[in-house]
Amino acid sequence: MALRYEYTVETEDLAKYYKMGVYIVKALDGVNLKIRRGEYVSIMGPSGAGKTTLFNMIGGLDRPTRGKVYIDEVDISKLDAYELAWLRARKIGYIFQTFNLIPVLSAMENVMLPMIFAGVRREERIRRARELLERVGLGERLYHRPTELSGGQQQRVAIARALANDPAIILADEPTGNLDLQTGLEIINLMRQLNKEKGVTIVTATHDLKMIDVSDRIIYLRDGKVERIETRAEIAVEAEEF
Amino acid sequence: MRKFYTLLTLNLGSQMTAEIGEIRLPVSEAFYISIQNVRRRFTRVAITTASVTLGIAFFVSLMMMASFQAQTGGTGIQPYMYWLLFISLLVCGVGITNSMLIAVAERYKEIGTYKCLGALDRHILEMFLIEAMLVGGIGGTSGYIIGLVAAIVYAFANPAVGITTAFSSLTQPNPAVPLAGTMPVALGLLLLGIGIAVLLSLIATLYPAYYAARLNPADALRYEI
Ligand SMILES: Nc1ncnc2c1ncn2[C@@H]1O[C@H](COP(=O)(O)OP(=O)(O)OP(=O)(O)O)[C@@H](O)[C@H]1O
Ligand SMILES: [Mg+2]
Repeated sequence: MALRYEYTVETEDLAKYYKMGVYIVKALDGVNLKIRRGEYVSIMGPSGAGKTTLFNMIGGLDRPTRGKVYIDEVDISKLDAYELAWLRARKIGYIFQTFNLIPVLSAMENVMLPMIFAGVRREERIRRARELLERVGLGERLYHRPTELSGGQQQRVAIARALANDPAIILADEPTGNLDLQTGLEIINLMRQLNKEKGVTIVTATHDLKMIDVSDRIIYLRDGKVERIETRAEIAVEAEEF
Repeated sequence: MRKFYTLLTLNLGSQMTAEIGEIRLPVSEAFYISIQNVRRRFTRVAITTASVTLGIAFFVSLMMMASFQAQTGGTGIQPYMYWLLFISLLVCGVGITNSMLIAVAERYKEIGTYKCLGALDRHILEMFLIEAMLVGGIGGTSGYIIGLVAAIVYAFANPAVGITTAFSSLTQPNPAVPLAGTMPVALGLLLLGIGIAVLLSLIATLYPAYYAARLNPADALRYEI
């Protein structure tokens, strides 16, 4: 990657309204965020707060009603379909609550998929997919299909896949939502380690309080607005006061 | 930095990021994924294929039986049969479209995921159309075999035709067979049957595939089954 940017994500007055008949649902309403390169940010908030909507806007999966999103200082509203696909393949890794692996493909093939779209050579794809799967602890499960893996293992494959093209940012929407406590904790720790190791920015939308311990910052969202932002230092201070 | 980009945007339009490179899905890879889809979703594909199989079996057996009759001085292929065949293939096409629309609905989330990983609309279209070709090929082949068996059973059971006439007429050309009138009937109908099956399957899948390709990723991912 040629250039390094101070902010991986910036949003300016970001809003998304949904029309429901005569009603207008303000899923996001004027969100301003700056997320530094290498940061681990959690987005918390009750159900319906707009977390998934924010995730979709930052991830270039949907167009905002108003406002802007910059990824590595590129205004993504100006990108056409081809450029957006490139951005999704190369700049962003996605992790979902429901894992979303391609069910007919093996773990290796799932991890190689984004590299195919990015035009990586075959030998390099295989080498890198194996390396990533080994890194997330699935060296023994390379050729298993998703149905042959546990939930935690599937999420590890998804993490390896998200890292395949060395993205600037990983977006994770409730990555531990379908996992038990212990497995969820393992996934959170793995994400934190990879964040440190590879310097990849991670933004997770979550209800999961375990996420607080590893986050550099926590953004509280409510009714489509940023309610407050806590940084790690403040959290540490709060903890001391108890 | 922002200002710099704005300037570039003004000058270069959508080429604002020199960094943006190529996105691709080689046909061989799309083929591989489609083959895996056919193998792993066997029940779904079998239902779609059944529609093709029946249509082609009807077509092949009708043409063969008429060829046998032509040899024994019977009426042979009649114009009304084309109408019958046209309608039967139309029904079969609607069946494929219906089945493929369900296949698309079942895979909303998967389509959304492909798009997250970098797939362009045309890549999704490609995957479904390759799948349609495979379904057409399999359905055409199995339909041909069933039609052939049905025609031979018919010849065997019908004393006015008999098995010898059947075999001799299968190895000779019948000019009344559309497009393949110069080939031996058995071969001509094999090629024609598979050809029609693939074409029919492709045409019937166009709409479902186009619909799948146009899905907005955020909507596709929201979909829960
Ligand atoms: N496609 C849509 N059409 C209409 N309304 C929508 C759509 N997507 C989201 N909404 C609404 O926008 C609001 C925010 O939804 P969102 O999915 O972003 O919440 P969330 O914070 O992710 O909630 P959860 O924790 O339950 O996943 C909700 O009120 C929701 O009903
Ligand atoms: Mg959500």
